[in-house]
Amino acid sequence: MPIIKVEALRKVYVQTISSAKVVAIDNLTFNINEHEVVSIVGQTGCGKSTFLNILMGLEQPTSGKLEVDGKEPYKDFNSLKGKIGIVFQQDRLLPWRRAIDNTKIGLEVLGYTPEEQIKRASEWLTRLGLANFLNAYPSELSGGMRQRVALARALCIDPKIILLDEAFGHLDEVTASKLRKDFLELVHSTKKTAVFVTHQLDEAIEIGNRIIVFGKPAKVLADIKVEPSFKDDQSKIQRLRQEIQQILDKNQPIGLE
Amino acid sequence: MGKSSEAEDWAKPESIAAKTLGRLKIGKEAIISLIFFGVAWQIVSLFTPSYIVPGWQVIFDKMIRLQPYQIYVTVVRVVLALVVSFGLGVLGAVVMYLSKKLENYISPLVKLVMAVPVICWILFAVLWFSAVEFRIFFILVIVCCPVFLIDVLDALKGVPKDLRDMILSFRPSKMQYIRKLLLPAIVPAVLTSWKINLSLAIRVVTIAELVGAVSGIGFALNIAQANFSVAEVFAWTIVLILILLAAQVPVSWVESKALRWRL
Repeated sequence: MPIIKVEALRKVYVQTISSAKVVAIDNLTFNINEHEVVSIVGQTGCGKSTFLNILMGLEQPTSGKLEVDGKEPYKDFNSLKGKIGIVFQQDRLLPWRRAIDNTKIGLEVLGYTPEEQIKRASEWLTRLGLANFLNAYPSELSGGMRQRVALARALCIDPKIILLDEAFGHLDEVTASKLRKDFLELVHSTKKTAVFVTHQLDEAIEIGNRIIVFGKPAKVLADIKVEPSFKDDQSKIQRLRQEIQQILDKNQPIGLE
Repeated sequence: MGKSSEAEDWAKPESIAAKTLGRLKIGKEAIISLIFFGVAWQIVSLFTPSYIVPGWQVIFDKMIRLQPYQIYVTVVRVVLALVVSFGLGVLGAVVMYLSKKLENYISPLVKLVMAVPVICWILFAVLWFSAVEFRIFFILVIVCCPVFLIDVLDALKGVPKDLRDMILSFRPSKMQYIRKLLLPAIVPAVLTSWKINLSLAIRVVTIAELVGAVSGIGFALNIAQANFSVAEVFAWTIVLILILLAAQVPVSWVESKALRWRL
């Protein structure tokens, strides 16, 4: 059953100075089912982040429809409270809050008791290997640790859907790889629906059990199912990688087996 | 763990003193240059008449005979005016932050008020108001309030969009948004603004009292000048400097606690 429904979604920006229209999302249509882990891959500037902003309800679409759990995120902003968690490209931690206080900010907004906030935030930070850094300020943590706090912050509100906006893109490969593994483990064990936006093909293939390829401006060029067994076959992964690259280069929809 | 160590830190009086002195930047070099200045002053006083450059003994002799009441009056005026200026400044800044239209109306007026020299406001106050206390209060508020307003408004506008989007992703209420993001985010700017305004208010209140009051340090300075008592003028000047330094201690203390994350 689809938890995210996107129908003919379009987003057009009007530039302030020149009044020129810029199409960021062009007739986007697809569904995402519950418990699916979907990678959205596309070139830089193709409208992936705009799509996530609309999905979060932070921006209004120009036309078309987007529903999350039966609600329109922008119009029914408050009705999706606690249902969506997001991890951004930058950690976006509040510098004046310690790791545990940053983690529990969503719980504070949702009205959990202080004891419950501390309990859940500590549990998530411990689960992500930060048990010894609960009281550290962001400035005292490494980039990877800060991103773990951001991940804990998004997951500890126990959202139905978790969104990641190039969340590991600025980390070194070793840290990013470890975080990807941790993330996948958490998503599968907690049975979340996850939407992972990235411009890196390897990352998209590693994480998603489905890959949606965005053109520029954002439209679906390909929608590919990735079976779990597929990920053990390096030659298949390599072929898929090349095919997605070709689709992106041509910016044209191509049917894939 | 961290909270208890924080509590332990702040329970140590020497730790507070050390941090506060650090914040006031009283270093070894500063002490040496102050001692040098004091000695040079004393030497010059030995070769000049005491009505031009009085020695330290004469100045301190005058200092212990100053009327504490005048100090009290000035301090109360400054504190009251700063608190009201801060309240009005924050209110104005929030209103301007929430409404671009109102900002367009209020902003030119604020700039106009800030462009008027302090001495003109003092003259206007003397001409417009007969009540002395209101006169001083008006001058201080008209000078300090726009500084608070501009500083707080700039700080509110400076809260990064990234952080605003992050908080909004949790769908907070307006009050939660203000309490959890905006207020903590503007604390550094607010504290800086307090430091600037403390110094500004003490300078302005002295001139205002000198021209338009019958009490306070400014008024006492006026009397000392009329009596040609240079030692008393110096004594009051030292008191003013000490008041300013003392006033910065609580601000620095709050700063070192509230902005601990920056240390």
